[in-house]
Amino acid sequence: MSATYPVLRITASDAARPSRLAHVWRSRELLRELIIRNLKVKYQRSLLGFVWTFLNPLMTVGILVLVFSHVVRIPLSDYWAFVLSGYFVWNCILQTLNTGTYIFAEHSRLTRSVAFPSEILVFGAVGSRLLEFLAEMTLILILLIAFHHAAVPASFALFPLTLIIQVLLVIGMALPIATLSVFYYDVQHALPIALTTLFYLSPVFYPAQMVPEAARPFYFLNPLAGLLTLYHEILYAGRMPSLTLLFGMMTASLLVYLIGYAIFSRYADVFPEIV
Amino acid sequence: MPSSAATPTFSLRSSDRGLEAAVELRGVSKRFYYYDHRTSSLREWFIRRILRHPLSVGRAEFTLRSFDLRVGRGQAVALIGSNGSGKSTALRLIAGIYRPSSGTIWTYGRLTAVIELGAGFHPELTGADNVALYAAVLGLGRRELMARYDEVVDFAQLEGFMDTPLKYYSSGMEARLAFSVAVCLQPDILLLDEVLAVGDQAFRNRCLARLRSYHERGGTLILVSHEVEALRELCTRAVWLEKGVMQMDGDVDEVLAAYQVHDGNRSPGAQ
Repeated sequence: MSATYPVLRITASDAARPSRLAHVWRSRELLRELIIRNLKVKYQRSLLGFVWTFLNPLMTVGILVLVFSHVVRIPLSDYWAFVLSGYFVWNCILQTLNTGTYIFAEHSRLTRSVAFPSEILVFGAVGSRLLEFLAEMTLILILLIAFHHAAVPASFALFPLTLIIQVLLVIGMALPIATLSVFYYDVQHALPIALTTLFYLSPVFYPAQMVPEAARPFYFLNPLAGLLTLYHEILYAGRMPSLTLLFGMMTASLLVYLIGYAIFSRYADVFPEIV
Repeated sequence: MPSSAATPTFSLRSSDRGLEAAVELRGVSKRFYYYDHRTSSLREWFIRRILRHPLSVGRAEFTLRSFDLRVGRGQAVALIGSNGSGKSTALRLIAGIYRPSSGTIWTYGRLTAVIELGAGFHPELTGADNVALYAAVLGLGRRELMARYDEVVDFAQLEGFMDTPLKYYSSGMEARLAFSVAVCLQPDILLLDEVLAVGDQAFRNRCLARLRSYHERGGTLILVSHEVEALRELCTRAVWLEKGVMQMDGDVDEVLAAYQVHDGNRSPGAQ
């Protein structure tokens, strides 16, 4: 009888709806295909492929190192190792957030004609960028082990944890950015300005310790400041971060994720009608 | 009407009560807000927030008004009506793309909706990659697809083109590939929106044959189309919508005849 068929009931209210995460889980095959598509489209017609992905931020690192160890001197030993352990993280976040401004517009046909949880598109962008990031970080870890630590510091074991924190933060920031971009094209103009500001307000080319003591409580309101400091501790300094920082960031990233997802969920239902 | 004795089979909730429902809509309305303010400024948005106006201020219009529909399992139903009558909205509501403003929709069984053919296709990817992507878009996993992949390629008659990027396909080839994926899915309920006019005559005939055999095997079909001949051939029942309100529901020939009279009156020059 009808019990053998999956039954779906749709109403105007939220009461009868399955949770978004359950819906996302059912669409995991689509998520995987989107990640594969993103990577294929980017790399299949490129001879040097990943070399470009790695070289581009590496050039910036080179410039930062040149300027901040020879012109404006930042007193850190192996300054290149310091910049290397933070800049690629920054770059990954920056690119993912920028993708958020056009991801729904780019997939408007899909959003208008298929019933799927649209956060999958954001997850797909985060996922494919994350795979590239893992490849980049593998190279960076090797460089740091070979030329900076001359050993494998135990703190490297925390890398997967910082990665999870990073993913939660990025999703929590990308979802509201993508949501707002559906309603206002202003976002794609405003975001680069915001990110440029954030670049200077985050410890990318200078350590957070150089920020005046009095300003630090405000400084660390920016969750990226904490994330980058975590990376600096773990990868550059090669020591275990303070538990305050670690648990603080775990809580903060979870909060950002939940709030960002809630904002997105509030408006996601109307995306098919307006993209 | 002389044939009225034969038609009650498909009138709402009377004799099709015997049929188990595949899709049921009760009092479904859909109101659209026109997001005029999309072009307006952020300043206005802040003002709206402060004055506690909802984000969605704009003209609201009904595209579907208290729509009741019960489609029995194994029925083939045509949704007809002029442009802007609410057919596509109804289909999107059943597919779960839009949420209704009020009312309830039940679907019993695995549902595939093809609203725009090839949505999700990427021009840089090969035919084979696009098949995998489009199948996932329509809800088919990779393993299930593998079992049907040859059938898809065979039906599209695109052997030898599957490793070619889609951007080198003609539009007919692209549509054939998309349609092949869609018809090889074998859902319990299939919704098609204006996607019958695909490819050359030979391919269209095979599509129709395919849909007929899908229907004969017990599949439920809801079609939106302006192709009267195809509708007559595939469907037994038709539902006519006009400005979001149901005008008629019954035997396909009768409803189509009534619709064509109406359509002819509206635009005497046409056809």
